[in-house]
Amino acid sequence: MPDSAGARRPYLQPLSRSWWLKHSFFLRYMLREATVLPLLFFCGCLLAGLYSLAQGESQYQSWLAFMAQPWVIALNALLLLASFYHAKTFFELFPRVMPLLPAPLMIAGQWLGTIAVALLLLWLFGAIG
Amino acid sequence: MNQPKRSDEPIWWALFSAGGVCFAVMIPGLVLTLGLLYPLGLLPEAAFSYSRVQQLLQSFWGLPGLILAGTAICLPLFHAMHRVHHGLHDLKLAKGPLTKVLCYGLASLLSIVAIAYSGIIV
Repeated sequence: MPDSAGARRPYLQPLSRSWWLKHSFFLRYMLREATVLPLLFFCGCLLAGLYSLAQGESQYQSWLAFMAQPWVIALNALLLLASFYHAKTFFELFPRVMPLLPAPLMIAGQWLGTIAVALLLLWLFGAIG
Repeated sequence: MNQPKRSDEPIWWALFSAGGVCFAVMIPGLVLTLGLLYPLGLLPEAAFSYSRVQQLLQSFWGLPGLILAGTAICLPLFHAMHRVHHGLHDLKLAKGPLTKVLCYGLASLLSIVAIAYSGIIV
């Protein structure tokens, strides 16, 4: 029913705060959204690293020591898994938004990009080659 | 006749989307090398030495430093804060425009700091 001003007043069903626990589809959605939490931590680490580089060598060394703390390594291991889950969901979106090629081809192409960057960085930092 | 208010959402969604690509393409390799293999001692000691990292970021007129700041800090931050902003609404922890200003404001502020410092070390 329109109110006296003529605006719509649609019925909004009350939503509980735990709505996303009620179905595995919503749970996967929340899991995907939560992948940004370890990402935020890593972005903060990188920003601190850039800052320490500008401060001088001893500051940079203590930043490297921070990055080697077990809990930091654990969070970064979590981020690696989170980034794979995010990549899977994100790569599947692209062929739906912009269907240029068959979807499996577009998804594989994007994974190739991720692998190429990883190989480049592994080579740059002396793990391969 | 009232002009409909133009939405600012395309700006935030473009930054979110670009950040999502960086998160999926750049971050796995970067966190694998810098966040896991190097701290675990599985890469050469000199790989992330002070002089080498500074040299790497400074080469080619500081372009690698800018690329690192842009693709591994700024755009992922906009991606993350977009999802935090909507997540807070999903969890009914936030209402109205305040969290939006705080989320995108924080991403903007830290992005400026990152770009500034990627220039200072150069």
